[in-house]
Amino acid sequence: MTGKDAPSAPEVSEARARASGGSGGDGGGLRAEASRGPRLGRRHVLVGLAGGGLALGCPMGAGAAQAPQSNPATDAPDGTGRGASRQPFHGLHQSGIVTPRPASGLMVAFDVVATSPADLETLLRRLTERIAFLTTGGPVETRDPRLPPVDSGLLGPVVAPDDLTVTVSLGASLFENRPWLGGLAPRRLTRMEAFPNDALEAGLCHGDLALQFCANLQDTNIHALRDILKSMPEFLVPRWMQEGSVPVVAHAPGAPKESARNFLGFRDGSANPDAGDEALMDRVVWVGEGAGEPGWATGGSYQAVRIIRNFVERWDRTPLREQQRIFGRQKDSGAPLDGRTEADLPDYAADPEGAVTPLASHIRRANPRTAEAARHLILRRPFNYSNGVTRSGQLDQGLLFIAYQADLEAGFISVQRALDGEPLEEYIKPVGGGYFYVLPGVRDSGDWLGRSLIDAVKQSQAQPSPTPGSHTQEG
Amino acid sequence: MRMMTLKQALATGTLLAVAGLGAPLLAATQEVTLDLVEPITDYKLYVSDRTAQLVEDTGALVAAIHAGDLEKAKALYAPTRTSYEEIEPIAELFADLDASIDARADDYETAEKDPAFTGFHRIEYGLWVEKDTAAIAGYADRLMADVKDLDQRIAALTFPPETVVGGAAALMEEVAASKVSGEEDRYSRTDLWDFQANTDGAKKVFELVRPLIEPTDPAFVSTVQSNFDDVDQTLAHYRTANGFEDYEELSDQDRTLLSARVNTLAEDLSTLRGKLGLD
Repeated sequence: MTGKDAPSAPEVSEARARASGGSGGDGGGLRAEASRGPRLGRRHVLVGLAGGGLALGCPMGAGAAQAPQSNPATDAPDGTGRGASRQPFHGLHQSGIVTPRPASGLMVAFDVVATSPADLETLLRRLTERIAFLTTGGPVETRDPRLPPVDSGLLGPVVAPDDLTVTVSLGASLFENRPWLGGLAPRRLTRMEAFPNDALEAGLCHGDLALQFCANLQDTNIHALRDILKSMPEFLVPRWMQEGSVPVVAHAPGAPKESARNFLGFRDGSANPDAGDEALMDRVVWVGEGAGEPGWATGGSYQAVRIIRNFVERWDRTPLREQQRIFGRQKDSGAPLDGRTEADLPDYAADPEGAVTPLASHIRRANPRTAEAARHLILRRPFNYSNGVTRSGQLDQGLLFIAYQADLEAGFISVQRALDGEPLEEYIKPVGGGYFYVLPGVRDSGDWLGRSLIDAVKQSQAQPSPTPGSHTQEG
Repeated sequence: MRMMTLKQALATGTLLAVAGLGAPLLAATQEVTLDLVEPITDYKLYVSDRTAQLVEDTGALVAAIHAGDLEKAKALYAPTRTSYEEIEPIAELFADLDASIDARADDYETAEKDPAFTGFHRIEYGLWVEKDTAAIAGYADRLMADVKDLDQRIAALTFPPETVVGGAAALMEEVAASKVSGEEDRYSRTDLWDFQANTDGAKKVFELVRPLIEPTDPAFVSTVQSNFDDVDQTLAHYRTANGFEDYEELSDQDRTLLSARVNTLAEDLSTLRGKLGLD
């Protein structure tokens, strides 16, 4: 229609105030400029080893300063982390797995809208760019105030890295629904199926892509999440999200580090494999060459996520002795029932009937300490969650369980099968989560997340010869 | 396209009031605002056409309710809402009427039982859940009065350019927040009607200001246009002879696609005001 009835506009000068916004779809993408960071704190040098000694230039001898029995993945955060402290972004593997577990975690799964390899590549490159900036820190981009600000401002004008890690993983559904990814799915990547005690809620399960955010402060995770969402709304639609925390425990120098407690009041992670032991991690956590996985997947890891509700009121009304028999550990110290400290190993050979540590106790079912059990080791890196109250007026609290392993079937799935029917089930109810494959690390500033996968897609498209179909899964 | 009902006031009314603008931006803003005279005039015609339609359609809905014709009232519910949903950002300038016309049960502590819960969704609840036209006769009369009041207030309204232009993004925010999830028309499952109407309302604003942006930012214009096209094409799969399928028919894949497109539109359209130099 025409504006016939409108007052005629007087002549307008050529000079118009045009806002200098980014073009559409750009989402205000910000170049990840590596600003010169602050000097690394002493703590950073110490924990740097756990990160595979990446780009930190710390002498190996520094390891001698580490307390015995330290396990970066499950030690309680000691609260000395400062905003300026950074975790490496570049390396063979992604950060956020064997790097120290900070006080705040956030897991979010997305449905991905990407109908072509080019879409997926754009998404992964943009993720790389944003994560590189967010984990490095620096001043945020500013623009004409008549436009919405590029950054949410949650961390102020200069983003502090705050030990942030953002770990990117892919779900089975991403591969299943995209023929051009056919045959490239990791061999053990399946859609999480319910175990007998599960009560899975559809809205809390699965996803095409997952991001695990970890930082000292919750705000750092939320800022990073909002940055990523704003940067790529055309590709990512959030499906479910769960935040969690780990209690910060002041650590006395020289004393052994302690595992953090879960919301059942027990130490969680006592028997975790040492995340600082690179050879062990290469065996337990990282997918290497020759593992029978697609070549692109080398350097990645399987991630099992479970949202496990704890019936805390009921638990708190359970006799202490029974709680300890259910777990197989002493509540105060975390020691096995036949030991004195958390670091002591239980001697099941001396207790074949389970008179001291019941055969059905959590730790004995999960890890019977046999030669066979060593095949099923997993690296747990969980967070506690608190989601308010249920309609029954009970506390909605539990464990955001996250575990990493080189073989999902031999790892989490086998361990959970061994736990099926354990007495602890009366007090816990898994309601969500999913299985994902953590992409290999970003080697350097020329590399990007998922490059090896996209390269494999391009290769398979260049060869019109029929590729073998997807791998069949043994039960 | 329906015949437009032109209002006397519109033909002679001055449409723009450049007020409340920060001094440093005044000069530049005034120039841009002059550019906007024509689009805003056109938009005002569009809004007056939509409100006239709303009054007419509401009259038919209310008549069906008073006649005790449940099926006819149910059939008229979604199409009647359409013209309201298309101009929602303008209607929302009158917070009292917006609440009384379009509030959802969630907005009240005791939900459907709350006596303050009135308007379209209270009527929707009466038609689909209570299945009782007599019980909602009072709400129907109230809606009729509210809609006429809205029509009169909008006719007398000076359209703030930033509200008109910002309305495009506001409509997509509305879709992103409640239409995609199917929370809006929970008793009738006619959410897709609203979805389309909100999108059409946003597209109208975009189309009117498009000529002002195209010369300097063609990439932006084509991105936004292509996202609108995707939304329209996806919704088209769910069209029926006289409207849209039940919201429950929306596939998970399409819901995800719509979510992504709508959020991208909301993100892009949030820059529209700034691109036009409006604060």
